[in-house]
Amino acid sequence: MNLIPLIIIILPGLANIFYRVNIKLAGLVSASITVLLSLLLYLQLPLEGLFYVDRITWVFLVMVSSVYLLSTLYSWEYVSSIKNRGISQNNYYLLLNFFTSSMFFSLVMNNYGFMWVGIEATTISSALLLITEKSDVSLEATWRYIILVSAGVTFAFISIILIYYHFGTLNVYTILHSGGSASLVIKIAVSIALVGFGTKVGVFPVHTWLPDAHSEAPSPVSAMFSGVLLPVALYVLYRIYEISPFPQLYTWFAVISIAAASLFLAYQRKYKRMFAYSTMENMNLALFGFALGGVGVVGALLLLVSHSFGKAGAFYSSGNILKSSEKRDIAQINGIWKGMRYTSSSLLLSSLAVTGTPPFGTFVGEFLILYAAVSSHALLQFGIVLFFLMAAFINVNYNVTRMIFRGSGDLKEPGKIMPMVSLISSTIPLVIGVVIIGGFFNVLV
Amino acid sequence: MIPVDYAIFLIAAFATISGFYIQGQEYIGSMVNGQLIQSSIIALISFVLAYYEHSLDLVILGVLIAFLRGFLITYFLDKRVPGRMTYVYETNVNVASLLLIDLAFIVVGIFIIYSLVFTRADLITKFGPSSILVFPLSLFFQGLFLIGSRRSTFSQIIGYIEEENSLVLFAIFLVPVPIIIEASVFLDVLALVVISSILVIEKFRHFPMEELRG
Amino acid sequence: MLVYTLIRTLTQYFFVVLMAPLFAGIIANLKAKVESRKGPSIFQPYYDLFKYMRKQVLIPDGSGLIFKYAPFILFGIYSLIALIVPIVIPEPVFFTASADFLGGAILFSLAAFVKIAAAFDSRSNFTALGAVRALSFNFLSEATLITVFFAVSLITDTNNPYITNSFLATHYLQNISLEHIFATIAFFMLFLYETGKLPLESSGLAELGMIEEGMSYEYSGKLLSISKWSGYMKQYILGAIFLNVFFIPWGLQSSFPGFLLDIPVMFLKWLLLIVIVVVIETTFAKMRLFRIQDYLATSFTFSILFLIFSVVIA
Repeated sequence: MNLIPLIIIILPGLANIFYRVNIKLAGLVSASITVLLSLLLYLQLPLEGLFYVDRITWVFLVMVSSVYLLSTLYSWEYVSSIKNRGISQNNYYLLLNFFTSSMFFSLVMNNYGFMWVGIEATTISSALLLITEKSDVSLEATWRYIILVSAGVTFAFISIILIYYHFGTLNVYTILHSGGSASLVIKIAVSIALVGFGTKVGVFPVHTWLPDAHSEAPSPVSAMFSGVLLPVALYVLYRIYEISPFPQLYTWFAVISIAAASLFLAYQRKYKRMFAYSTMENMNLALFGFALGGVGVVGALLLLVSHSFGKAGAFYSSGNILKSSEKRDIAQINGIWKGMRYTSSSLLLSSLAVTGTPPFGTFVGEFLILYAAVSSHALLQFGIVLFFLMAAFINVNYNVTRMIFRGSGDLKEPGKIMPMVSLISSTIPLVIGVVIIGGFFNVLV
Repeated sequence: MIPVDYAIFLIAAFATISGFYIQGQEYIGSMVNGQLIQSSIIALISFVLAYYEHSLDLVILGVLIAFLRGFLITYFLDKRVPGRMTYVYETNVNVASLLLIDLAFIVVGIFIIYSLVFTRADLITKFGPSSILVFPLSLFFQGLFLIGSRRSTFSQIIGYIEEENSLVLFAIFLVPVPIIIEASVFLDVLALVVISSILVIEKFRHFPMEELRG
Repeated sequence: MLVYTLIRTLTQYFFVVLMAPLFAGIIANLKAKVESRKGPSIFQPYYDLFKYMRKQVLIPDGSGLIFKYAPFILFGIYSLIALIVPIVIPEPVFFTASADFLGGAILFSLAAFVKIAAAFDSRSNFTALGAVRALSFNFLSEATLITVFFAVSLITDTNNPYITNSFLATHYLQNISLEHIFATIAFFMLFLYETGKLPLESSGLAELGMIEEGMSYEYSGKLLSISKWSGYMKQYILGAIFLNVFFIPWGLQSSFPGFLLDIPVMFLKWLLLIVIVVVIETTFAKMRLFRIQDYLATSFTFSILFLIFSVVIA
């Protein structure tokens, strides 16, 4: 048995022992150690036994731990300056640590049942984080998040029961290496999982909690939601999908969700809601890639990693703007380029990143996914996705450039750490993209 | 069918009836009691099947349901029901139309999910004919409908618990999942109810909001 | 053979027509006893019927033909139903072949329609009020009546009420099948509504909560007598269907001289039903008028939900 995954799970929880001493610092230390440990874990892949960690899981582990580190860092200034707090500062860190623990738990467990439990635990631990900035609206958003997500994820438990019924075990490794199954029971299970876990991923008809929760949560939490929580749910969905791939259903759901997200994007007036819909679009694109298989999976992983940093950067930048202006509407934010150099650069970089502009890592991911779509003859889906990706690109970037360059504003940077974190976070997708494209050219030459 | 089957069918049918009872209530106190009745019915089914199959797991499951659902959740919810009159009941509950819509919803749901999909999968239940799965499924749709049709936090929590109950029932009838996982599921739900009951104090009713549109 | 059938037919018909008021009298008397009153004699309904017979008939101004003839039509319809369903003797008699179970249900609906039409035809606001009330609840009660009979015919694969009765009497387990139990509950709830029992309707002078009673407010003399009489017959028929098809299908004889035993058997069964009804009438408070819809929706839910379950299950 390997100890590293166990340590990764309990480390954020261990930080909570310092609740009365200095939970802020303890969280930061534990986050840094988890990043190191999850990077180190690569040397021991693949793991199976109590935990099941292969390369795909590893990518997700690195993602979660790094965004956790960034968010803890960002919260340092952000949370301490919130005026009307719904939960105390220490409780905020406590829940944030538990939230991360539960995400790690759902990622590494070698058991579908425990994966479900982990996903449900992420809902429980993150629900109260949404009322950190307390208002009537945020309470409503929290409630919608709790009830919609838990009702949806509950539905997914039927698919867990059906899997157990068919295989007599819930062990992920055993099931995935049993050579799959063409049984109708498993097909039903896979389809139910799409609706069930799809609620948390943001698949079209059951996505409605997503923009509310993202726009009302404090920015570091929105970043965690967008950057890692949704991918973790997507990971669990993918693990179930792997048992018996059902591409027709999954690709079409993904394509419809991309179209819907891109249409909703078009008439958003609040920047955090706009980014939330962009998350929905990216998640479904990744789902599309996973459903196509082959190169599509590689593309989806690349997209998810780059997107998690890019979208975290976008939400951090939004947090900076919200902190200094206290306005949520796109129309009310003008010319932030004047007083907020760091924030506006990070906002621009991250919005380019999340819309898949070359040479960002997201672009490479999207390219690979679309390539997979063409090579598996899903031309109709390819056309629809391409069209709506472009529409989303135009919408997001038009709004963001308007916020940055139109007119002149008098906003100032809200602190020192916050703009730095946003800038770092939004540069990472660029680095990923450049490294990969560079490496690719090297191979070619 | 043998007499025991008839008995189990009847008890399971009462789980569905309890769903209708909850749906028809205006007072939150009686909805909580309805939840208690429903959980007790499911615990009872678990015990009966444990006797029938000589399975220790089902006994533990029954005890867990009786303790966590029947006692703890009822206790938490009861403690949160506010004393002031205006909050004790939900206004604008039109029982007749709610029952009829609920009925239509269940019928459509069952026809789609059970008749079109499940019957083709040749599921073999641990006990009796596989058609008994109709009851957990109908309970599930009732839970969903309760969440959708009501505006108060309490009713929606109870709808969620109803959904969970239906899954437990589903698992009992089809194949009892390992008890450790079932136990963690129960704890999850308990934690969720505790978390949501914190929200009850802050926000009792839920309406569409201008800020959260689109 | 023909003579036997004729005797059976006459027995069944006259038992229904002549004994129906008696059961109403017993209910009234027993209820009064429970409320520690002396109560009217159990033969009071007969005295009333004779008294009304001798009184003058008053026809309201502007009322039409339907108003005048409705009581007779109602009496005729209930007489026909009395021969269709196994309410005394579990053996087909004359006229039984004229309709099946569903036909019986539709005859009930026809009777309800005639009664409502007559109430409107009297051109009185007061009876119109009763008719409107009845209409706003009947859409649920009629639906229940029909689905309940569907449930019964699904269990037995026939909608011949006599076969249903003998099937249920011989197949004990079918009596605890889901659809049967819930159809029974639904039918009992319907019985309470259709016969105007207390949680739903309280009748009497100056009573604002009445539904069925309100519709016969303009009748007097002979017409009132016949109208009331057909009301008693309706109560008997519904109660006997409840007893013989749903609740206690056992105990009826069909051999030739043995069929006479059915009369005391029916009497005993009815006493049981009367006790149940009296318990309900004296323990429940009257519902608000608009709650009646909820009540009927519940009974409808019971009947149709398990009907659908049984279809899905089979």
